[in-house]
Amino acid sequence: MEKIYVHPLPVRIWHMINAAGFVAMLVTGTQIRYVGLIDMMSFRTAVTVHNWIGFVLIGNYFIWLLFYLFTDKIKVYHPELSPTKHFQASFRQLQYYGYGIFKGSPNPHHVSAYDKFNPMQSMMYQVVMFLLVPLLAVTGLLMWDVQGFYGAVEFFGGVRVVDTVHVLIYIFFAFFIFFHVYMGSLGHTPTAHYKAMFVTGYEGVEEADTAGGATRQ
Amino acid sequence: MASSPKASTTIKAVFHRDFVIAAFAAFLVLFPAKFMAAEAAPADKLSDGDKTCLGCHGTAGFQKDLGGGKLLSLQVAGDRFAKSVHGMNGCASCHADIDLKTHPQNPKAIASAREFSITMAKVCSGCHAEEQKQYDTSVHAKLLAGGNQSAPVCTDCHGVHDVTPRTAYETCVGCHSAAMDAHKKWLPNAGLHLEVVSCAACHAPAAQRMVDLRLYDRVNKKWVAEAAGRPEFENMARAADPGGHGLDAIELRRLMAQINHGDAKPHTILRGRIELRNAVEAHQLAGKDKAIKDCASCHRQGAEPFQNVTVSILSADGAPLRYKAQKEVLGSALSVDSLREFYAVGGTRSTLLDMLLVLAVLAGLAVPIGHQILKRIVKKQLARDAQAGAPAKPDDHGGT
Repeated sequence: MEKIYVHPLPVRIWHMINAAGFVAMLVTGTQIRYVGLIDMMSFRTAVTVHNWIGFVLIGNYFIWLLFYLFTDKIKVYHPELSPTKHFQASFRQLQYYGYGIFKGSPNPHHVSAYDKFNPMQSMMYQVVMFLLVPLLAVTGLLMWDVQGFYGAVEFFGGVRVVDTVHVLIYIFFAFFIFFHVYMGSLGHTPTAHYKAMFVTGYEGVEEADTAGGATRQ
Repeated sequence: MASSPKASTTIKAVFHRDFVIAAFAAFLVLFPAKFMAAEAAPADKLSDGDKTCLGCHGTAGFQKDLGGGKLLSLQVAGDRFAKSVHGMNGCASCHADIDLKTHPQNPKAIASAREFSITMAKVCSGCHAEEQKQYDTSVHAKLLAGGNQSAPVCTDCHGVHDVTPRTAYETCVGCHSAAMDAHKKWLPNAGLHLEVVSCAACHAPAAQRMVDLRLYDRVNKKWVAEAAGRPEFENMARAADPGGHGLDAIELRRLMAQINHGDAKPHTILRGRIELRNAVEAHQLAGKDKAIKDCASCHRQGAEPFQNVTVSILSADGAPLRYKAQKEVLGSALSVDSLREFYAVGGTRSTLLDMLLVLAVLAGLAVPIGHQILKRIVKKQLARDAQAGAPAKPDDHGGT
């Protein structure tokens, strides 16, 4: 099996910090919202930890952003501009996960350093990284100091709107974390993608002449 | 050509008549304006007896020499007294010990201005017995009983002759000027907390709290006050709540739309505050070691302050006029707009969002479970196909 270097070190560092931070944010955020139902730590501790990790994750976001802005690897986030091509490729990918993967069919998406996401991943990560994560960070920042950012809070429609947007994105990530972790286990071995993303940076790719396809991240 | 004497007389007569009409018209126009401009001063509304008192006590610089270089001001600002909540009571209601037969010939012996304040504050309990009872349990009363002459008595917080409704915050920081810095050391969003939580809500821990949603003018950045003698707010609130059970989320939206005349960008919004249900209980202030510091007192679903909700407007004299709302308005999805300025994390959370979270987690769990079930079904089918010797289905799913 051929190995391709698809996860450069800055991306792996960003992802490691992000993974640990997101779990901590989900845990402390759940504690903040559900005092009484869940009592892992005091509300104040949860708020303090949530605030600190929030700032770490905002800084961490810029590791990811600067890496992609200043390298040609940004191509992995380029959208497919033809809806027909995008949806046909997405449908093939859905068929693969719903049937082909169980009978050992090759992955219709061929991983390369400049095209590491399958069409559905690409769409989802564009929404997550360019819309949801920034919106989550901005609404979190506004709630960290509602009085100091009063003008911005007003612009968004008041503290209740800001909180509701923050919570809706939290709800999405409460789903996404299960989905993301599970999909990560669907490599050519259950731990292949985890090892590639957290440790080596290399994804194993089945050679074209034997299988005609490659596993995906 | 010279005019005749008769013609001259006629012109004079016409001029005279026009002058009189003009003067009369000017009188009619200007007199009411003059009359309005010279509206009676507030002190003019006081009784003759009170005006007699002010004859001396209204004089600037009127004071008593207590000896030893100490002076006690005896001056009372008549207008401010007349506008205070006690203006209608009159001087004698508090100064009943003054006998006009002997006053001012036989003046009272007063050791110090402070001692006089402490003595006179006892008069308040004559009408405000419940407040006094609560005050007697307070840290302020305990300090006073312990000999601390600087401990506050009624007049230190409420004023002497100019008692008017004021917010707890501006009253408390009059002495506790370091309160903001002290709270910033431990309380996240301290400024916001001190803005929206009445001091007594935490510092009178045995008191009962509530949420007061008050009308706020977001353009002019001030609380909305009702014009004197026009109880429009209560009428509108009653009209919005025909059942009389308190405003629900839809009725509150309707009321706010009516107040804002349906404008898409509302001029008037609701700002929530945590206050005491019974303001009298604010007098039982405890020491800071007993103050509520547990965030979960509010930031928890079903917390006590969120069990009672009112919507209010400031009356012309500065006191709030309240109308009951149902507690469910605080967590309703319909309140995102009408309660845009009030949200207590964890305390007023929306049930709809809670349900969405449960669905999201279930959906998240359903992905691995569902996919593994699908895997078993497909593999069984493939195994059956293999056993039956049927050729494997051509792979048309993942081909290159």
